[in-house]
Amino acid sequence: MEIHWPLLLLILTPFLIGLSGLLSRNRGTLDALQCGQAGILVVSVILVAEEVLTSGPLSGLFYLHTDALSVWFSLILGIVGATGTLYAVGYVGEQLDRGAISFKRFQRFFILFDSYLAMMLLAVNVDNLGIMWIAIEGSTLLAALLIGFERNKGALEAGWKFVILSSVGIALALFGTILVYYASENVMGVSEEALRWGVLHQVADQLNPEAMKLAFLFALLGYGTKAGIAPMHTWLPDAHGEAPTPVSAMLSANMLTMAIYAILRFKILTDQAIGPLYTGNLLVGFGLFSVAISAIFLLTQQDFKRLFAYSSIEHMGIALVGFGLGGVIGVFGGLWHLLNHALAKSAAFYGAGLVLLRHEHKIVDQVPGLLHGIPLAGVTFLIAGLALAGMPLFGLFISEVAIATDAFTRHPFIAYGFLLVLTLAFVTLLYQILRMVLGTPVEQKVLKLGQRCRSFATVAIAVNLGALTCIGLYVPPGLSDLLGTILALFGIPGK
Amino acid sequence: MSNLQITIGSQLVNLCSVLLLLTCFGIIAQRRLLACVDLFAIQSMFLAVMAALVAYLTDIHHIYVAAVLTIVIKVIILPRILKQVVRRLDVKRELALYVNIPTGLLICGALVILAFFITQPIVHLGFLLTRDSLAIALAIILIGFFIMVSRVKAITQVIGFLVMENGLFLGATAAAYGMPLIVELGIFFDVLVAGLIVGIYANQIQDTFSSVDTSHLKNLKE
Repeated sequence: MEIHWPLLLLILTPFLIGLSGLLSRNRGTLDALQCGQAGILVVSVILVAEEVLTSGPLSGLFYLHTDALSVWFSLILGIVGATGTLYAVGYVGEQLDRGAISFKRFQRFFILFDSYLAMMLLAVNVDNLGIMWIAIEGSTLLAALLIGFERNKGALEAGWKFVILSSVGIALALFGTILVYYASENVMGVSEEALRWGVLHQVADQLNPEAMKLAFLFALLGYGTKAGIAPMHTWLPDAHGEAPTPVSAMLSANMLTMAIYAILRFKILTDQAIGPLYTGNLLVGFGLFSVAISAIFLLTQQDFKRLFAYSSIEHMGIALVGFGLGGVIGVFGGLWHLLNHALAKSAAFYGAGLVLLRHEHKIVDQVPGLLHGIPLAGVTFLIAGLALAGMPLFGLFISEVAIATDAFTRHPFIAYGFLLVLTLAFVTLLYQILRMVLGTPVEQKVLKLGQRCRSFATVAIAVNLGALTCIGLYVPPGLSDLLGTILALFGIPGK
Repeated sequence: MSNLQITIGSQLVNLCSVLLLLTCFGIIAQRRLLACVDLFAIQSMFLAVMAALVAYLTDIHHIYVAAVLTIVIKVIILPRILKQVVRRLDVKRELALYVNIPTGLLICGALVILAFFITQPIVHLGFLLTRDSLAIALAIILIGFFIMVSRVKAITQVIGFLVMENGLFLGATAAAYGMPLIVELGIFFDVLVAGLIVGIYANQIQDTFSSVDTSHLKNLKE
């Protein structure tokens, strides 16, 4: 079996750098290692993408397998993971400078953070549904430790809620995986191959329809809990609100996206066994419900990190509606939406972290005039906020229009409902963002941010918003080729 | 395997599954935390016996590995950790319940019926030896879930989670003669780590809130 270095590098780098954090005794080394990690992640994910585009899916050691769909999600996880690493160096470093945490805990943070990234990258690059489950569960456990990292009452409560709810979710998802295995053994007999997605994909039309229906339902409820789909979303605002901010960004941009990836893998199999109607209805239903719930709660939020958390629920809902509709435009819209959301939302959280460090609270009312007070965060909030609300010139506008169009051509009623809740979310989010960005500052006593923190945050935000604006204006040919290949996986002939 | 062997074997497997289910009801009916931990250990013991039985009858050796791991992790290590936490935190009984015990038992009865109803269309796909256990596995998962939502103390919520895991393991063994070994090892590792992490959390919650009542955890809501 061939060894694909970029793929191995992509997954092993954060693991190894995380572990090497145990050995590095001074801060300079640790910072340098993390910066190296960010660089390697970006380069290797681009190399993997190129290799898959030119020579088709890669299979490597130990069930590693990367097809076009994996590449799409690796790109999201790799790039946002890289900027997240840089931002974390600045943010947690600032906490260290202020004496809020000891060097030991600083070190521990990066061990957890890097392994968390590695687990998520592993989850989207394995062929075996069982191993995928293990990686996702691993990322859940690491996330649990990261959410409770600050150890105050809020963080403990949020962490506990997350552990309990996502353990239930992940258990249901495992039952879904067992049912797929049950159905596939019925076709292939007892074998190690019976959980490999590639093999399942070939025999999916022979799998027992009833078993696949149940399997998909359990997988959707289970991984849906991790994706923050309403009504299983209750952990999400707490966790995003209380976790250290770089972790909130990773939860929202990477972990939710990874959970959607897992649902898609099950959806493709189930669609082949029983046709797209069943999964489509479920996804559209849950998706619309999520958008509606979050649109309402966006308005009442007093805490800006929770505000962005509800916005994540909204965007996961929108993507699900796209995948549920399932036409060329719908699936394209869903994928495009996930990519743009990850870039914009992580940038928004990076900004939110700066405001939190400066004001030491998260109350929306108390931080008006960010454009004057802290222009870096103010501009970030403005650009990311406009993008997240779905303004033109940004990719999220394109994907929302695409999904609405797909809905109109297929089921106009869904389109009306979708546009209604979308408008509501648009207005509420924009209102809240503008309330913080404009106006005059009310608080005179604020803390100053260190130079180090500022520069790392600037780089992370610039990369994210730069990429967001670029792909809003122009789709690189590599990305559109990739999209064509993914559509074929969904059983839709290329564009 | 002769016909007689299959008949007797499947009866024994069913017996084990039913005993597993019975211990679930025991946990629902029990307020004392240490007794709940013991019941969980007994349940895991039945699970290991059942797995070993399936391994013997089908000659699939990797299920033995899973049975041994079940004994080591779920019968010995995790109950020991949980008991330590219970002693350290000095909580003996679950006083306030969200649902009282008789109602809880009735609800669990309903969950068992629901599980049989859900799995009914797919049971015929399975292996003759174990297929009746699939419904029981789902029932145990649902009851574990119910334990998690109906109890107040952090420890009992953990036990609920572990009961769900036992249900999943039973399901995997019943439905598919166990997952591939590498997957099963990974799952065991994750369960062990989950147990540890939850233990850490229970300790920190105790230190910060001076109680392991999760009903204190209600500051974050809309």
